[in-house]
Amino acid sequence: MFENVKMPEGMNPEVLEHLMAPKNYGKLDDANGIGVAVDEKTGEYVIFYINTDGDIIKDVRYATNGCQDTVVVGSMFSEMVKNQNIDYGKKAISKMELKLGGLTPKQRICTDMVLEAFVASLINREHLLRGEKEEVHIIKMKESCEVESE
Amino acid sequence: MQMSKLYQAKHELWLSILFASFAINDKQIKRDLYNFSTIEFRHMKWVGGDVLKSGDDYNYDRTKTLKKSETVFEVLNHLLVELKETALLYSDNVLDTRMKTDENYIISYITALLEEKKNDAEVTAFNMKRTYADKELPKEQIDALTMFLFEESYKEYELILVYAYMQARTENITHFNVFQDLIDESHFHLQSFGEMMAKMGILALPRELHELTYKVKDIQKFVVDGIAEEEAAKEMCRSLSGAIEDDGLKRFFDFVNYQESYHIELMKRLL
Repeated sequence: MFENVKMPEGMNPEVLEHLMAPKNYGKLDDANGIGVAVDEKTGEYVIFYINTDGDIIKDVRYATNGCQDTVVVGSMFSEMVKNQNIDYGKKAISKMELKLGGLTPKQRICTDMVLEAFVASLINREHLLRGEKEEVHIIKMKESCEVESE
Repeated sequence: MQMSKLYQAKHELWLSILFASFAINDKQIKRDLYNFSTIEFRHMKWVGGDVLKSGDDYNYDRTKTLKKSETVFEVLNHLLVELKETALLYSDNVLDTRMKTDENYIISYITALLEEKKNDAEVTAFNMKRTYADKELPKEQIDALTMFLFEESYKEYELILVYAYMQARTENITHFNVFQDLIDESHFHLQSFGEMMAKMGILALPRELHELTYKVKDIQKFVVDGIAEEEAAKEMCRSLSGAIEDDGLKRFFDFVNYQESYHIELMKRLL
């Protein structure tokens, strides 16, 4: 099910396409789950929007002020989970995490930020389904992407 | 017509003309379009001022994408369509009349270009060849340069818009002037990086800014983070200058590196 999932390893044409025109980038006006992952040390964030119909993730968007690695991972991951069910989305997180071995520490943290923002959007959706009032669910990152420069 | 919608149209038109200037190789057309884009940026600023005066607000949302044209005439025809669409949004007030007359002139300029077949040529800005002009650079240097250009073209666009957003809302003259200097510097950097992206065949619009990026709640933190980002940009310039075996590019990255140093000094005045 994840055979075609590739992580950004070097500058291949697929990565270049994601850089030039990131997929699912921007805001989603009819989102029913909004999550943010933020690196408080650098101020970098990823915001992830989902719109679900039952268990199906009908539409997704994300935005970030982070680096291009974050943009590429967000673009790839949002394509993976769009039109899939929530269970698939959760498995996609594990699959992406398994692939982190080949990345630099900074790329790994950028990837984590995308995944955490998605998790936050699922949590926000659950809270809203339970009738709680929460505009957006925020997860503060434990590690900072300043890691390489330290 | 909602003024915030007009603001979005002006924002998109500024980018379209600016990126058309990067895409086209003819030096005269490039220069003219770049100059027109600076006029459009001022229009956008004036419209934004009027939006705020009216008690409304604007955002940096966009819907238009950059068309990967293959010829100069394709680029120019896309611009004509967008200019004519924008003309439909104007009313009869003084600012709209000014913008209308400016754009009527730009339309006549483009129409004249389209009448001369000799002005048509191939556009190579989107061919994804990733060679830098006639220079033979190793693949890893091209990769590093590619990543740098995407990273920094977005950052310069972000800085222009964030500083413009804060400039439109400050009553502090020192801050206003610092924001203007930083905006002017970022325009130059965005132009430089956009031209390089076009030369490499990887010209692309910077991605949209989310409001979490430009609605700054804590200016102190914003400036401190911004200084750290300038330091990171300096480091990228330094490492690119060290890694790239081309004297012209080395000199360029050293030049940008020293400009970033002074940005940090300017930013400190905001603290």
